[in-house]
Amino acid sequence: MSLLELHDVHTFIEQFHILEGVTVEVPQGSIVALLGRNGAGKTTTLRTVLGLNPASSGKVIFDGVDITEQKSFDIAAMGIGYVPENRQIFAELSVEENLRIAERNKGDLAGKEEMIFGLFPDLKRLIRLPGTNLSGGQQQMLAVARALVANNRLLLIDEPSEGLAPVLIEQMMEAIRALSEHTTVLLVEQNFIVASRLAQHYAIIEEGRTVKAGEMGHLVEDEETVKRYLGAA
Amino acid sequence: MSTETSDLRSQTSEAGPSKNRQRAEWLRENRVRVTVLAVLVFVFVVALLGLEREDWFETIMQGLSVGALTFLVVSGLSLIFGLMDVFNLAHGEFFMLGAYLGWTAYTRADTLLDVAIPLLLLAAPFALMPLWQRLAVSITLTGRARKATAWGFVIVGALAAFFTITRFPLVIWDAENFALTPANMTVQIDLGTHAPLPADTFSGPVIVAVLGVLLGGALIAFGFGTLRKPGTETEALDRRNYVAFGGLLLAALLLHLVKEPVNEWIFGLSTTWRFFLSMGISVLLVAAFGALVEVILIRPLYDRPIYQLMITLGLGFILIELVREVWGRPEFTMARPAAFAGTGEGCPGQGLGGFFSGCSTVEVFGGRLRVYNEGFVILVGIVVLVAVTLLLRRSRLGMVIRAGVEHPEMVEALGINVRRVFTMVFALGSGLAALGGVLAAPSIGLSSGMGAVFLLGAIVALAVGGLTSFPGAAVGALVVGLLQQIIIRYGQVGIPIPFVEEPFKPSPTVVPAASIVLMVIILLVLPTGLLGRSEK
Repeated sequence: MSLLELHDVHTFIEQFHILEGVTVEVPQGSIVALLGRNGAGKTTTLRTVLGLNPASSGKVIFDGVDITEQKSFDIAAMGIGYVPENRQIFAELSVEENLRIAERNKGDLAGKEEMIFGLFPDLKRLIRLPGTNLSGGQQQMLAVARALVANNRLLLIDEPSEGLAPVLIEQMMEAIRALSEHTTVLLVEQNFIVASRLAQHYAIIEEGRTVKAGEMGHLVEDEETVKRYLGAA
Repeated sequence: MSTETSDLRSQTSEAGPSKNRQRAEWLRENRVRVTVLAVLVFVFVVALLGLEREDWFETIMQGLSVGALTFLVVSGLSLIFGLMDVFNLAHGEFFMLGAYLGWTAYTRADTLLDVAIPLLLLAAPFALMPLWQRLAVSITLTGRARKATAWGFVIVGALAAFFTITRFPLVIWDAENFALTPANMTVQIDLGTHAPLPADTFSGPVIVAVLGVLLGGALIAFGFGTLRKPGTETEALDRRNYVAFGGLLLAALLLHLVKEPVNEWIFGLSTTWRFFLSMGISVLLVAAFGALVEVILIRPLYDRPIYQLMITLGLGFILIELVREVWGRPEFTMARPAAFAGTGEGCPGQGLGGFFSGCSTVEVFGGRLRVYNEGFVILVGIVVLVAVTLLLRRSRLGMVIRAGVEHPEMVEALGINVRRVFTMVFALGSGLAALGGVLAAPSIGLSSGMGAVFLLGAIVALAVGGLTSFPGAAVGALVVGLLQQIIIRYGQVGIPIPFVEEPFKPSPTVVPAASIVLMVIILLVLPTGLLGRSEK
C-alpha cells in the first residue's frame, strides 16, 4: 500500500511550468529516491506535496486523503516532516528552540529526545547554542532532527548529503537508515551512490516529468539509464 | 611527550581563552557599531552637559517620555515589518484612532455603548457564514463578473447598514454646538461637572432600524461568501454558528437593556479608574480593527508589496477623514486623570516619592517634572518593553514570531498556521499603537494630524534601530525622543557661539529635519542600523 501518491502533477511557479506530469508512488515503510539533474523539478515535487507550491492539476494523495488543495500547515499537521534544501535553520533560535518549535503537542520533544540524541549525539552538546553558530553539518543534523520531533509518518528530505564532508555523509546515511525503520522517506539526492545505497525505490524526473521509476536494485544494474539521465555511472 | 602535555593544557583551559576569543571576535565584527553607539552617547552627553543641571535632568526625562510614546508606535511597526514585510503606513493613524477612542471611552463612554449595539447586530449575520457560502453557490457567474457581483452585494449591504444605523439612538457630541463640543466636555471633566447626555430614542420604528442593520450585515456577509472560489467545499452549518448568531443578537438586546445602569456606573468611577478602563477599551478596539484590516485588506496582497503600501497609505487618509467627520476638526485635549492632576497644598511633590503624592508636578534634582508625562508615560513604556521582550523570548508565540521573521515558509511546513500568527501580530502592533495614542492624549492633546507626526519619528527610530530588531526599535525611539527634546531645550536657552552676541536658538521646527539628518548619518555608516542584523 502506498502512503503517498502523486498522479500526473503539474505545478507552476509564477508563469513557469515547472512540473509537467510527475507521478510517484511512495510505499509505506520504504525509502524512495527522486533522481534527476539540477533543475529537473525534484525540489518542486517535494514542495508541491507540502502545498508550498500548490499543484495546478493532478492529484496528491497522502494516506488515502486527497491533499492537493489543502493548506501547507494542514498538510504538515497530517504527519509530514520536511527537511528543506538549504536546511532553513532558524538562526535566531537556540538548537533547543529549533526543535521545540516543531512540537505539535506538548511533550513531543520530551518523548523523542532519546531517539534524536541517539541519532545525533552532537546536538545534545550544542543544545543552548543559537542556530547561527552551527556548522553546515550540524545544521543538517538539526534540520533532520527537527523533522523528527512531531509524530510524522512521512519525511521529505531534500539533499541531505549536499555540502557535507564524506565522514558526515556516512553518518547522515546511517541516521536516515535508522529512522526509516519507523518512518517512510521520500528523498531527493544528487549523489547517486548515496541514493542507491539508501533507497529501495526510485523515480527519475527529467524536465518536470517522471521518465522512469521502479526498484533501486534494477536501476543500479541499468548503466545506460543511469548514464543517460543522471550523467554518472 | 611535549605534544601530549600541550593537548592536555588546551583541553583543561578551553573555556577561558575561547570565551575571550569569542569576545574579541565579537568586538572585531561589531567595531563600527560600537564606535557609532559610543559617538552617539558622547554627543548626547556633551549636548546635555552644556545645560544647567536642572535643565539637563528635565530634558532627559522629557526625552524619555517622547521616546516612550514613539516606542509604542515603532514597536508595532517593527514587529509587523519584521514578521511579514508589511510596512504599515496607517500605523500613525492607528495611534491617532487609539487616542480618539480612548478619549471617547474616558469622556463619553455612553456613546461607545450606543454604537456597540448596531455593530453587534451588523456582525451577527457573519456568524452564519456557511449559510451564505452555500447560498452563494447558486450564483453561477465566474471570474470577473462574479467578483463584481460580490462587491455589489457588499456595497449595497454597507449602504443599507449606514442609513439604518443613524436610526439608532446615538448620543453624540456636536462639533458645531459649543456646549457639546469634545473640547468643552474635557473642561467639564476637569471641573467635575461632567454627566452623560440625556438618552436619545430610536427615530422611526425600532423594527425598521434593527432589520435594516441585520439585512445590511447579511448582504455584506453574502458578498464575502460569493467572493470565494467556486467549487471549494463549504463548511457545514452547525450548532456553533446558531449559538454565535443568537449570542450576538442577545448581547445587543442585553446591552440595550442595561445601558443606563452601566453608564451610571462608568460615570461614577473616579477619573483614574476610568482612564485605565479607557486604555483597555481603546487597545482592544484598535487591536480588533487591526486584525480586521490584516484579514481583509493586507492578506490578499502578500504577493504585491507595493499595493500593500498603497492600501495602508489610503487607509490612513480614510481614517483621518473619518476622525474629522466623527470628532470634528478642532483639536482638543483629554482631561488628565485625578491621580496625576493634584494641585494646591503640599504640591509640587518633593523628590522621587513625589511621584506618588498625587500632585501634577514633582521637583526632583532641582528639575520640575510632570508626574503624568515624565512619570507614568515612561513607566508604561518600560512595562511594554519588558512585556513584549518576555513575550518574544519566553512564549511559544514569540518563538514562532522570531522563527517566522526568518523562514515563514519553514514555519508553515512545521504545521503552524503562519497566517494566523500574522493576524495576531498585526493586532498586537495596532493595540500597542493605540496604547501610545491614549497615553499621548492627556499630554499632547488630540488632533487628526497627531498620527503623522509620530509616524515620522517612528520611521526614523525604526531605521536607526535596524528595521526588524525589537531592542533596536527601543533604542531608536530613545534617540529620537532625546534629540527632539535637546533641540527644543536649546531653542529656549540658546547655544552661545564665540564672537557672536546673540546665542543661536534653534527653532523646534528643525526637529524633523534634524532627526532625518541623524538617521541619514547613522545609515551611511551602518546600513543596517544600530542593532539590525546584517543581511548576507
